[in-house]
Amino acid sequence: MSQVTTKASLYYPPGGILMWIIVYLELFTFGAVLVAMALYSKDEASIFHESRLQLNTTFGAINTLFLLVSGFFMALTVTALKTNNLSKSKTYLKLTMLGGLLFLGLKTVEYFDKIEAGLTMGYNTFFSFYWMLTLFHVIHVLVGLVILASVFRTMNKNPEKLIMEDVEASATFWHMCDLIWLLLFPVIYLVF
Amino acid sequence: MKQNPFFYVLILLIALTVLSAVVANSHLENAATIIMVLAAFKFLAVAFYFMELRHANTFWKALLIAFLTIFIGLVLII
Repeated sequence: MSQVTTKASLYYPPGGILMWIIVYLELFTFGAVLVAMALYSKDEASIFHESRLQLNTTFGAINTLFLLVSGFFMALTVTALKTNNLSKSKTYLKLTMLGGLLFLGLKTVEYFDKIEAGLTMGYNTFFSFYWMLTLFHVIHVLVGLVILASVFRTMNKNPEKLIMEDVEASATFWHMCDLIWLLLFPVIYLVF
Repeated sequence: MKQNPFFYVLILLIALTVLSAVVANSHLENAATIIMVLAAFKFLAVAFYFMELRHANTFWKALLIAFLTIFIGLVLII
């Protein structure tokens, strides 16, 4: 297992420069759509407010907690691995993935409720943004879980082939899902 | 026993999330501003601690803070 020494180089942010370019591109993309949503809300203020009240903020807040706790365990996974504690690292990674799965489970319940109530993508402008942004985020969480499952598989079957840079890049991607949700949750569920 | 610093960050993040939910359900005049500022603190805590951006070059930190400032500013101004 290769070790990475921490240095404040422009070319080596934690997780690697390519992953951080992806992080900024994703943040700018989601950020731009959220700003567009805020612009549309000016023309349809009452519709946005009434639609926002139809969202389940408790589900949103619990999902925020699931992702935050999952991110906490991801950070512990990387720390444990840096100190060559593979068994702890595997336990933390399992808890990280559990957080992601719980997020997806609750999101599925929330989506089911919305579809049952007829609040689908074409219902109004607010719900068009809601479905587009949250579904795009869910896709990121799914991709993140596949990446983490792949890291876990290597930890289990070929721990000698585990590359620290790859684990850090995977962790950065997972935390990025957290960052995006931290922008989506207040704007979609709380502000309007 | 000395706790991992990540643990304290997690407690802070949970407290800020609960506070955001309380503010959202209150009838405060500046609720939106408070919610967005709390979200900004949570965003920075995840980036600087869980993602270890605090160990990165100033360029990456400045870029993230610039993005966040512009984003929060635009959402609140609009």
